[in-house]
Amino acid sequence: MWQALHEELEPLGLSVVTVALDLDPEKARTWIDAASPTHPSLVDSHHRVDELLGISNVPMAVWIDESGTIVRPAEGASIQPSPLRAMEITDEMPERLQAVLREFKAMPETGEAYRAAIVDWANRGADSPYAMSPDEVIAASQPRSADHSRAAACFELGIHAEARGDHQAAIAWWKQAHALFPENWTYKRQAWTLESTPEGADSDKAQEVQDVYGTSWSDAFLEVGGANYTVTPKL
Amino acid sequence: MLLTTLDMTTESFEAATGWAAKPEGMCKGDACVPAPGAVSPDGALDVAAVADRLGMALVADDGAGVWALGPESGGRALTTAVAPDIDLPDIDANPFNLSAMHGRKVLLVAWASW
Repeated sequence: MWQALHEELEPLGLSVVTVALDLDPEKARTWIDAASPTHPSLVDSHHRVDELLGISNVPMAVWIDESGTIVRPAEGASIQPSPLRAMEITDEMPERLQAVLREFKAMPETGEAYRAAIVDWANRGADSPYAMSPDEVIAASQPRSADHSRAAACFELGIHAEARGDHQAAIAWWKQAHALFPENWTYKRQAWTLESTPEGADSDKAQEVQDVYGTSWSDAFLEVGGANYTVTPKL
Repeated sequence: MLLTTLDMTTESFEAATGWAAKPEGMCKGDACVPAPGAVSPDGALDVAAVADRLGMALVADDGAGVWALGPESGGRALTTAVAPDIDLPDIDANPFNLSAMHGRKVLLVAWASW
């Protein structure tokens, strides 16, 4: 998907740079191999871009111009309609699945408009109405409270604990990070996947982690609702 | 940002956080925050004092003997529109710096396996 966009826009002077937020870079390898990217494809095992750019879920993107100035801050970066949004809800489905699909349908559908905005910027640069001024970029970036800063520190200490083999200490730090910054889904989904992914698998989207974290991905998703799950681009 | 010591110079702090000590205070991009007394004449930095001024959480893991320093806070996630110095490896551990993309537009996309 990103490789196709890169190939389309590279002649216009735009490069896609992907950043995988994966504590274990090997988990990202299957996806990267399948995409065969010709653009820079990076791995951020410490979620540094959360702090540096305000990334709080995936996929999210930031636009940076030729001089290294950010012209759109971190925002939800779907560029195609979600197949889950298109799924028909039927009475035969388990109730939980019906509820999740209803919330997917409640998510603002901005994929096509966001993709069109990227193409417009690639063509018109600073003349694109989607490219913001520095003041607009700062104002449109996500709020950052003292608790968010503390969450980032706790998440980092969790990574350090995990790396030295103290998984229980890591869980304790990550629980603190989740409580301090509940809107950051990268902290949650990263921690949860370590509990729920079966041995040998790359990932597990359901993330049923009640026994460790007292929740699951679908519990948390239903709690906030589809409309609040992503940072919707204001186009 | 993991710290193994609080004994930092202004240079090591800037390399770690992007915040540089200047006459007007601690600065990143075009943003400056006054920080009187944060830097001693010999260039040593009072990390706790600077963290306090910038709203950076400084959290100790006493058992592990390390600290983590959170990002600046009290406003927005971005304090400047100047893109940060992003230095990350690719999947085969080859280094990459965002500055290599100077002169091109960049769509930086965060994704994950999970």
